[in-house]
Amino acid sequence: MDLKAVVASLSEIERKTLLCIDATPKAAEGLAAACGLNIDSVRRACSWLSEKGLAKTEEVKETKIVLTKEGEGAFTYGLAERRMLNMLSEKGKMGFKELQQAGNFTQQEFNIALGINKRRAFVAIFRGTRPEIGLSEVGKDFIKGKSEEEEAIAEIAQSGGTQKGQALQALKERGLAEEKEDVQRLVSITPEGGQARRIKEFSGQRHYNILNPVPPMYIGKKQPYIQFLNIIRRKLTELGFKEMEAPLIVHEFYNFDVLFQPQNHPARTWTDTYQLKNPSRGTLHDKKAVNAVKAAHETGGVSASCGWRYNWLEEIASKLMPTAHGTAHSARQLTKGVEMPGKYFAIARCFRPDVLDATHLIEFNQTEGFIAGEDLNFTHLLGVLEQFAREIAGAKEVKFLPDYYPFTEPSVQLSAKHPSLGWVELGGAGMFRPEILENLGIKGQAIAWGIGVDRLAMFKLGIKDIRYLFSDDLDWLRRTPLVKG
Amino acid sequence: MPTIDMSKKDLEGLVGKKFSQKELEDALLYVKGEIDAQDGDNLKVDVKETNRPDVWSTEGISRELRARMGMEKGIPEYKVAKGKLKVRIEKSVKGVRPLTVGAVVKGIRITEPLLIQMIQLQEKIHTTYGRKRKEAAMGVYDFDKVRGDIRYYGAKPREKKFIPLEYRAEMGLDEILESHPKGREFGHLLKGKDVYPIFEDSEGNVLSMPPIINSNYSGKVTQSAKNLFIEVSGFNMHTISTALNVMVMALADRGGKIESATIIDADGKKFTTPAFGTKRMQVDISYLKKISGLNLSEREITALLQKARFEVKRKGKKLALEYGDYRTDILHPVDIIEDLLIGFDYNKILPQRPKMSVVGEEREETAYLDKVRDACVGLGLQEVLTFNLTSKEKQGTLAGLGGQQFVEIANPVSANWEILRKSIYPELLEFLSKNKHVEYPQKIFEVGKALEIDDASATRTRERDKLCIALAGNGYGFTLIKSAFEAICRELGKKCELTAEQHPALKEGRGAIISGGSPGFLGELSDRVKKNFGLEQDIVVLEMEL
Repeated sequence: MDLKAVVASLSEIERKTLLCIDATPKAAEGLAAACGLNIDSVRRACSWLSEKGLAKTEEVKETKIVLTKEGEGAFTYGLAERRMLNMLSEKGKMGFKELQQAGNFTQQEFNIALGINKRRAFVAIFRGTRPEIGLSEVGKDFIKGKSEEEEAIAEIAQSGGTQKGQALQALKERGLAEEKEDVQRLVSITPEGGQARRIKEFSGQRHYNILNPVPPMYIGKKQPYIQFLNIIRRKLTELGFKEMEAPLIVHEFYNFDVLFQPQNHPARTWTDTYQLKNPSRGTLHDKKAVNAVKAAHETGGVSASCGWRYNWLEEIASKLMPTAHGTAHSARQLTKGVEMPGKYFAIARCFRPDVLDATHLIEFNQTEGFIAGEDLNFTHLLGVLEQFAREIAGAKEVKFLPDYYPFTEPSVQLSAKHPSLGWVELGGAGMFRPEILENLGIKGQAIAWGIGVDRLAMFKLGIKDIRYLFSDDLDWLRRTPLVKG
Repeated sequence: MPTIDMSKKDLEGLVGKKFSQKELEDALLYVKGEIDAQDGDNLKVDVKETNRPDVWSTEGISRELRARMGMEKGIPEYKVAKGKLKVRIEKSVKGVRPLTVGAVVKGIRITEPLLIQMIQLQEKIHTTYGRKRKEAAMGVYDFDKVRGDIRYYGAKPREKKFIPLEYRAEMGLDEILESHPKGREFGHLLKGKDVYPIFEDSEGNVLSMPPIINSNYSGKVTQSAKNLFIEVSGFNMHTISTALNVMVMALADRGGKIESATIIDADGKKFTTPAFGTKRMQVDISYLKKISGLNLSEREITALLQKARFEVKRKGKKLALEYGDYRTDILHPVDIIEDLLIGFDYNKILPQRPKMSVVGEEREETAYLDKVRDACVGLGLQEVLTFNLTSKEKQGTLAGLGGQQFVEIANPVSANWEILRKSIYPELLEFLSKNKHVEYPQKIFEVGKALEIDDASATRTRERDKLCIALAGNGYGFTLIKSAFEAICRELGKKCELTAEQHPALKEGRGAIISGGSPGFLGELSDRVKKNFGLEQDIVVLEMEL
């Protein structure tokens, strides 16, 4: 036994109890006063001390003689034969009926009392005009004395037992006394308990069980998805990217037209993107960009492209919509002017008409941007993607697949090997089409890229249901640890 | 992005080669294809070539693969025999759907895979390339049921009747628009016109009413048909010709013999279709090298482009390229480069990180908003993230704000997401209402955007960054939220002032309006608003612009 540890665990009542028990087994009930505790505390302390091996509890079975209810009555008011003798002593001879009524005897009591007194020759029957009962001389002598039964009943009442075997037997037969079993718990100190009292830790402070549960406490913290996006933002700025403005509402012009998506393209209709009803149309102040984009669509403008060959309408381009993809913000940056070389990014809240479920959000985030430079080529595009995969997603193995975006050529999909899910799509990229860059007067090339941050966040936060990114579950938010990175 | 259903066996038959799983996956990359689902022989392939209808069928994919794998090279050739059929376009369709082209394909055995592919290709052309039938609508007919020549004319809706596909009784033209499923789906393309376009044979049998529905007589193609007539109608000659060519090429790849149809236009001008033309483009070799970043020899470039079905000739420092005019995706020399790179294989290219010395930075506004978050976290609050999309009921009625103007979505998917929020607090109250079973006190905040209509702005909307705090707990009152407010203002170095004005969501005498540079409000939530959100605890809120 590690006595120090056991002593450290002792509570106040255990300590007090340990001090008031000794090697003699005693009933806990009897210890209460000595220990200065109530009975319940002593009982509890005795049981804990026994579990810890400092005390010993033993159960002792005892057979006790007790008075029955009738026996108690007989002890208080006297046995029936005594009452009969007293009555006769007081009133002299009496008739049978008279005696029974005056003494308030039941028939059974009367018969027993008469039988005993007759047998002992304390009474005699006098036969005159009517038979009468009266004290005998023996009876008169006895009246001051006590019978064996009377002594026995007094002993039982006072000390729970008697040595008078015959009398006890008689009382039992008369239903005045009975045997009863009693279990007593006796506690005594063990040698370890004795040792425990002597070591110095005994008078020290109780040591808590540090493994016991305590009430939870929750810290204030940022939403997990926000924490994750902050990490992404920090990594991108470390890689030299400048953050662009990312409004929620944009003109179709930036979402589609600048990006060379023809106005009659099916992706521009109701089912794929939201449109606004109020307000429905904004103003395009940048007329230079408007004209450049119009030319790009209609004829290819200053680029070597033939364009989409249709009549482009500013009216459609000025329609308003909630941002459908983050590249809309790159498009705006392209019209505002670009540093050469330059790196840009935006963490964009985007909107998509969809049903909200475990794999779809109606509102989500995209991280998009572009790199502009004089001599960028396709191998650089792959280099940028590989860097993202390694440094942002922590991927070890990547592969590139041909892809399509209306605004890039060539286009690539980036996939990375996930330890348990296999190849997963991480993002996409491409080189902005010359129709876009050349018409906006941007010399050189630009690599447009996007990373699926929602999916990355799900991996990082270990969630299967995408709705947890915008969790409405406070308990989950409280329990989710700070995001590493 | 079209998703194509196809049979692996059928593909292998058309390519003339069996594929292992890996070979199949690699081969499909040539058409930017990715297997989305696979069930035995049945494949669902996402073809990301959104501007190339020629690869939206097993036949088209096989055609591309035969060249990429070296079994064929250069522009595919199709023989067109001169046919007898004439299609007359009458003046009456001019204001409705003025143009059509057509072709006859004879001696074809219509197997199940062919039928599936034909219907699928027609559907994909309609949906994507044909802009939901507006720009191109295609009809395929059992040619043996067509008598004599074909008229393409505008019929008065009340004067014409025919039995539409899969129906038994004749229907009037308006009746078709109103009650036939296709009529209801595409009727808007004809509604309001005086006449509706009709193809009809010389015996007055209707072939179809484009772009809505074929007739049940000649417009129903079953496996017993041997000869087919195909037409495409629309507004742009180039668009409809390409659609026709793509379908005819696919049928010819299955062994069909192509015969031309003579189109006589409204002015009496004659031409025959299908016409398989080519296009030419000259590309600087240096441009190909510069954009691809690959140092390829002229021979390597030529070989790769031939595999992509280009005819290649050297012309000084340039390559003169010729290609089939079904390649509607080629607008600029840059589009050639991707074909070259896909042929080379993206994964054989060594990625290079661009070397540039630029300094990254986050926006000042972003940094500031994160400071606000830090302040709230310091107060022990949990940040939550809710959607900007929400409902008028929540932001208006429930939040205690009647008669508001909101930035409204034209095409909401549900009334739950019909506007963009004007305030954040209704969203936080809803959050609290969903967490009534969670241990109190609950102390939450959100930093986010809220939108208002603003006619002076270019987008006629104003997006404001706001902070909203909601604290729910026994005995929480005005003092607590005012203390929090002052702490935030102190940490942000803002001068914040309160005026004793009533806010409709707050208890009378227990709320205040924040004046000055960060307008907003704070106080104890009224019993009415609490009840609207089913909340019982004492709740205090704060919302302010940042």
